Amino acid sequence: MSDEPPNNPSPADPTQLDRARRSLLRAAAWGGGIAGIGGLVGLSANRLARRTPAREAATPALGREFTYDVERFQTSDPALLRFVETARFPAGLERARNLTAGPDGSIWVVGTGGIRKFSAAGELTLAIPLDRPVYALALRASGEILAGQAGQISVLDAKGGVLTVWSDLPAGLLPTSIAIAGPHILVADAGNRVVLKLDATGNKTGVIGARDPDRNLRGFVVPSPYFCVRMASDGLLRVTNPGEHQIESYTLDGDLEAAWGTGSFAVAGFCGCCNPVSFDIFPDGSFVTCEKGLPRVKLYDSAGGFTGLVAGPEAFPEYLQAANAGTPHSLGSGIYAAIDPAGRVLVLDVVGGTVRIMQRKEPKP
Amino acid sequence: MTGGSNIGERHYPAQHPLNDPPKPGPSPALNRRGLLQAGARGLGLLGFGAAAGWLGARESKSDTRWQINPDLCIQCGRCATACVLQVSAVKCTHSYGVCGYCKLCTGYFEPEPINLDEGAENQLCPTGAIKREFIEDPYYEYSIIKELCIGCGKCVKGCNMFGNGSLYLQVNHDLCVNCDSCAIARECPALAFVKVPATRPYLLRGKGAAGK
Repeated sequence: MSDEPPNNPSPADPTQLDRARRSLLRAAAWGGGIAGIGGLVGLSANRLARRTPAREAATPALGREFTYDVERFQTSDPALLRFVETARFPAGLERARNLTAGPDGSIWVVGTGGIRKFSAAGELTLAIPLDRPVYALALRASGEILAGQAGQISVLDAKGGVLTVWSDLPAGLLPTSIAIAGPHILVADAGNRVVLKLDATGNKTGVIGARDPDRNLRGFVVPSPYFCVRMASDGLLRVTNPGEHQIESYTLDGDLEAAWGTGSFAVAGFCGCCNPVSFDIFPDGSFVTCEKGLPRVKLYDSAGGFTGLVAGPEAFPEYLQAANAGTPHSLGSGIYAAIDPAGRVLVLDVVGGTVRIMQRKEPKP
Repeated sequence: MTGGSNIGERHYPAQHPLNDPPKPGPSPALNRRGLLQAGARGLGLLGFGAAAGWLGARESKSDTRWQINPDLCIQCGRCATACVLQVSAVKCTHSYGVCGYCKLCTGYFEPEPINLDEGAENQLCPTGAIKREFIEDPYYEYSIIKELCIGCGKCVKGCNMFGNGSLYLQVNHDLCVNCDSCAIARECPALAFVKVPATRPYLLRGKGAAGK
């Protein structure tokens, strides 16, 4: 009988040693596993702690003098409103970029995804998918469609079939607005900051608005891709000069005749660095203008006197939310307006992706 | 048969241990030693692994930097107040390629300036950290005086709201202590602080970015 207790095996016992070794390895494996899991938990907790923000509201951390505040300009006097919204419908494009009213009352919206035509009531009647974004559209009397795309102008038939593409145009062309004046096609080229004058077949016949001190032309200041041209019933072109906060009048030969507009956050002026971004002209020569930054659609008489609002900033809550959140603007933030044959103002809210139909509240005095 | 051998049969010297007859069991001393050796090897491996992990972690820390994604930044002002440095390492950055060189720069001027000139009453920046220089009519160039900028983002908000977003905030890595425990990142309500490779530590807009 051994002197050692039975539960205290002899170290010489190979089975016991093997068991001990296995136990040790098992313990080490468990320990390693637990330590590994602990490490992973710690690492995840650390990462989570890093990425979990202070969830208090994003209130300014600094005093008023360090805070950009234009809130006082983001509401308007209701007494200035001359129009009321009667309908709205989604533009249905990946990104809407412009709109035009057809002579038959149709509403045309263009952007990333192509062209969409709506009835005067807002029902979709035609969709023309196009690979390249469309920035501007004009309708010829023949029914042909001129679609402005980066570097080219596509000519489509009334059903959207491509007839031809005018691509032999100045490098850097970004056509953000197209107007038709008899045989002339006027293209606001935001890329080159001039208005191109084309003939009916797309050949360049002139340039309007290039800087030329000898002709008293200071040039167009177009800091961002918002540049608009319209033909007025008085035979003069109207062109925005957004960096100068003005709308300028030119002859078709390129002579500057007049200009109006001032830069101001106040309701009668054009706010920010570069406004208006678009406009249209009523048959009586008065204007509807659109501004970005403070989304405002406003009315001016033919001499540029402020007469009222179509819609104030509060009519565009999604836009204001994006602006106040500090998200970057540029291409996605324009507001566009067109006047249809019934005198309604069609407003494209790019941020909201909707077309608003605005009806005059009272007979125009 | 003497002197003969079968093919494949191996012969070892008489004293070779492999010629020894099998022993009844491992000796206690040898097994204890083996156990200790195994333990030492295990510990050594563990230590090596831990050291490698630690060094790896340290390496990954030095391989990345905290930076502000300008598309997520909401200019809340915390960059100016939360940095461990007395004056924040976050500064305004200007991408000239994106800038419109506006006469009425909404990042430089108060919303309703009295005049479009460099008068202090017209300037938006509370520390006067933006320099305005005439280039040619009607264009002006704006540059950031880093020593004066505190990273409050007031100018950034004005530029984003009305302009092209050419002004934006960035962590300046010549000032950042790179502690990897960024106090601003913890406070950022917009989750705009992200880790970027140390070899490309800035998230710049457009071309021709400067001011960093």
